[in-house]
Amino acid sequence: MTRTSTPRTSTTVGAGTASTAARASKPARSSKTPGTGRPVAGTLAVAGYVVMIVPILFVVATAFTGGRTLTFPPQGFSLQWFEKAVTYAPFTGALVSSLQLAVLATVIALAVGVPVTLAIHRGRLPGKGLIEGMFLSPLIVPELVVGLALYQQLMIGFGLANFPTLLIGHTALMMPYAVRVTGASLALADPSLEEAARGLGASPVRAFFTVTLPLLRPGIFSAALLSFVTSFNNVPLSLLLQSRDFRTLPVTMLDYVQQSYDPMVAAMATLILAATVVVAVVAERTVGFAKIFGGINK
Amino acid sequence: MTTRKTALLLLLPGLAFLLVGFLVPSLAMLVAPPGVGTGEVLGRVGQMLTDPYDLRIIGRTVGLGLIVTVVCVVLGFPIAYLLARSTSRWSSVLLALAIFPLLLSNVVRTFGWLVVLGSQGAIGQLLVGLGLVDRAPQLLYTELAIVLGLTQLFLPLAIISCYSAVAQVDAGLDDAARGLGASRSRTFWGIVVPLSSPGIVVAATLVFAGSVTAYTTPYLLGGSSQRMLSTQLFSYSSVTIDWAGASATALIMTVLVFVVSGLSSLVARKGATQ
Repeated sequence: MTRTSTPRTSTTVGAGTASTAARASKPARSSKTPGTGRPVAGTLAVAGYVVMIVPILFVVATAFTGGRTLTFPPQGFSLQWFEKAVTYAPFTGALVSSLQLAVLATVIALAVGVPVTLAIHRGRLPGKGLIEGMFLSPLIVPELVVGLALYQQLMIGFGLANFPTLLIGHTALMMPYAVRVTGASLALADPSLEEAARGLGASPVRAFFTVTLPLLRPGIFSAALLSFVTSFNNVPLSLLLQSRDFRTLPVTMLDYVQQSYDPMVAAMATLILAATVVVAVVAERTVGFAKIFGGINK
Repeated sequence: MTTRKTALLLLLPGLAFLLVGFLVPSLAMLVAPPGVGTGEVLGRVGQMLTDPYDLRIIGRTVGLGLIVTVVCVVLGFPIAYLLARSTSRWSSVLLALAIFPLLLSNVVRTFGWLVVLGSQGAIGQLLVGLGLVDRAPQLLYTELAIVLGLTQLFLPLAIISCYSAVAQVDAGLDDAARGLGASRSRTFWGIVVPLSSPGIVVAATLVFAGSVTAYTTPYLLGGSSQRMLSTQLFSYSSVTIDWAGASATALIMTVLVFVVSGLSSLVARKGATQ
């Protein structure tokens, strides 16, 4: 980025009186709407949003085309490609496979991941930092490399079928979410609450289910949502571990795009988009969208 | 759960999944692929680092990764800055809009560029319609297409990392600098950017690591003419079944990501002690 100080100064002169007036009444902030008075930052921000959002809008537009090809502008309006997408057996079969895999992997990841979080945060273990780092390590290794490893070592080496291999792989990849996101809410929970329950005569199991688990609920919900979405959208693992009998939806769509160039994939993509919007709204209403992603990136 | 024994029991099932589903196979793959020795894999790495064809793939992967990193920071930081400093109620909507793509399938997001950049796509048709060109230019299967696709993919990550950093910088400092007579740009470059630089480092690391390992985008938008390490790895492991080549490619990719993550935590630590 070049330092374009000239346009900045020229607008500061123009906006000077306005911002002085604003400062007099509202000392903490100088700008009310995003981008006002900051032309360079504003322009870059608009460009960023265009790159992020506009291609998605084009997908939706072409899904409703009356024509036979992925042409823009779309020719006429029809729902024919949606009808084709939801009745196309490879897509529906793959959708069921993807949902099965994502639900199972999420449940297993939480079932084994939440105890790990408890052990790290509440147990007296040596080398806690090292243990936590180990459980977060799947985030650093390229997923494609993990996929190749599982394909070579478990499917070819041990002759494991592709569904169990996929399930083990997806579960291992979700472990960082299960451990870190629930860990974040456990760190906020006061351990003396559990001790109080124990002191009042509750068994460790009862104290866990009546005190700790409710405290962890937002963390578990966030972790479940992240895990499910990550598994459902995963390409690198699912691509290398596919078989003719079990393929996930993203992999099937990639394959279809490579073979034929019609708007059916656009229709399927639009349906996935609609479902993702629903998930996002649910996330926003319950835990708050920014919180879920804030937890994993800090 | 106070005893060490209970803690170990709680740890065990998770550890089993981590070892079987991730750690052991990954290590085994890098050192000993089926029927191939460690020496052979390392020899292959040496070969790839000298062969002009392989070097072009490595160079393209690193080069495009760097370009995407710079573009994502240059576009993402202003977005994060404006959102963190704005008091408008639209800013929460815009923040949600920036995070939302993280939930959306990469295939869906990348597919959009086929519609925009394809020969029958929006940009080509627009240029022809305006009479600027006779035939739609080749935009798909170019390095530009890969850069656009990867930028779309990783910009949300850059925004989140920068946002949490900018939000931690007290807005009062901006106002103090402005009150003392600093210009807007001087406040931005002298206060906001240096104080949120840890977030910028995190953003750059995440984007670079993601870009050099992404598969869907180079596959759909680069095709076989613009191979990257990831598409090459897939081709070795599923088309030509060349285990030594696949492991060597995986090793190069992993080392690349580890070196960059290591450098970034080194920079972060140095910044923290200063």
